[in-house]
Amino acid sequence: MEQLKERFPDVPFTQLPDGDTAADVPVEQYHDFCQVARDDAGYAHLSCLSGADYKDHLQVVSQVYKMETHMPALVIRVRLPMEDPHVASVTDLWPTANWHEREAYDMYGIVFDNHPRLLRILLPDNWQGGHPLRKDFVDKRPRRPRLVRYRGEATEP
Amino acid sequence: MPPQEEMEQSKELLVNMGPQHPSTHGVLRLMVKLDGEKVTWCEPDIGYLHRCFEKLSEAKTYTMVIPFTDRTDYVSAISNELCYCIGVEKMVGIQVPERAEYIRVMLTEFQRICSHLMAVGAMALDLGAVSPFLYAWRDREYMYSLFERITGGRMLYNYLRFGGVRNELPPGIIGKPTDGAELKDKTIWGFLNYFDNYVIPEWHALITRNRIFEWRTKSIGQIPAKVAVAYGASGPVLRGSGVKWDLRKDAPYSIYDRFEFDIPTGKENGDVFDRYMVRILEMEQSARIVKQTLAWLADNGGEIMGKVPRIIKPPPGEHYQRIEGSRGEVGCWIISDGTANPYRVKWRSPCFVHLELMPVITPGHLIADVVAILGSIDIVLGEVDR
Repeated sequence: MEQLKERFPDVPFTQLPDGDTAADVPVEQYHDFCQVARDDAGYAHLSCLSGADYKDHLQVVSQVYKMETHMPALVIRVRLPMEDPHVASVTDLWPTANWHEREAYDMYGIVFDNHPRLLRILLPDNWQGGHPLRKDFVDKRPRRPRLVRYRGEATEP
Repeated sequence: MPPQEEMEQSKELLVNMGPQHPSTHGVLRLMVKLDGEKVTWCEPDIGYLHRCFEKLSEAKTYTMVIPFTDRTDYVSAISNELCYCIGVEKMVGIQVPERAEYIRVMLTEFQRICSHLMAVGAMALDLGAVSPFLYAWRDREYMYSLFERITGGRMLYNYLRFGGVRNELPPGIIGKPTDGAELKDKTIWGFLNYFDNYVIPEWHALITRNRIFEWRTKSIGQIPAKVAVAYGASGPVLRGSGVKWDLRKDAPYSIYDRFEFDIPTGKENGDVFDRYMVRILEMEQSARIVKQTLAWLADNGGEIMGKVPRIIKPPPGEHYQRIEGSRGEVGCWIISDGTANPYRVKWRSPCFVHLELMPVITPGHLIADVVAILGSIDIVLGEVDR
């Protein structure tokens, strides 16, 4: 943790109430920060990488842990713009991030650069409806009418 | 060469172990490229059971999400509820009384036995042994009837609440340590004695020492420990590769630090047999924990629900809660914006992460081994797709 604070002096580290430490990393330094976190600071286990929609910006949040007893998490947060969000992929550092990033792309539209295979994962590959977990998502699929009035002639029973 | 001719000239066959398949543990599509019978490439395609759990939970209140969490990993429902409930309790600052904690731990470990029985039963079925699968279901039915008497539900419970549990245990369900091991004593002690005296020896006699099972599982699907950690494996998949990492001991939650239990691990290059054996040994350890909780519960009374505000409105912020579920590390990341509806609930499911291991470990094996490896990773599609 100290190595991270030394190497990235202008990244704000905040203590969360449950004991974890959150780091709000700018987009350009994200991949370097993660590399130092894994190699030098020993955060070997990426538990969860997900997106979040805060209405005026998007965010990619990763929870990384050391494989040591009673160690709190390092929460790496990256703030992204709503239009054309791009961020570096950390699949080369933590291979488990592969599917997590695909899900963030699928649900939020966040594009991860240098991802080996960025396709939709939970929704069909060619689904055109947008990115569902965004707060401004509107389901544009055609709705079946609820009540259909019968306009034909009476038929034989 | 035009693509059509190239495909016809190629020696590889693309096989779809499609969404409907008896051995894929649910609606999973495995695309497998075969050279003869050897797998050269394998890729899972998921999303057939996507039920929009995360989007739906943004429209509900915090308490309404509890039944949804049941339905993610529907084989091991209480552990999901536990993860979500502990997460929200930490955000709001609710204290859970001791009796409720003991009931929660008892049910979670009981559920772990239930879930592992399903896992090893389904694995045995995939490899051709039909009877042990039905024996596992016979024992799960016994546990279902006990769960039904306690919580009201057989497989999906909606039992845990923020601050405790929904209702007290029915009288007489705990039983006495001397309860008979025959199936007619329908108490938890009766089940534990039956489990120790009949179920575990049966599994060892039928499957563990079975030559055909050994041929089909030893040295198949080996995951080196480094690969397991890099790919975020947890639970029996990680412990089968020799890494002694269990969140109940290494990041304790609830009251797990009061109990004595061991963490079984496999060899360094864990294969399918190691993961199976880790599950069997974990069942025995879970039974041990349940006995310790029953000893306390029989002697001590208390409240089953703490002081909880009428409307659950956690202060704005976020919290990530992870627990040791039956299949691995279950995580629940909750963002709250101060209202009664969660702003975001992200479910980190262990099976989603473990399925990423399939493309890594299956190439080089025969197609029959793909089924064995999938069985040992033990996925539940409800959790993968949410």
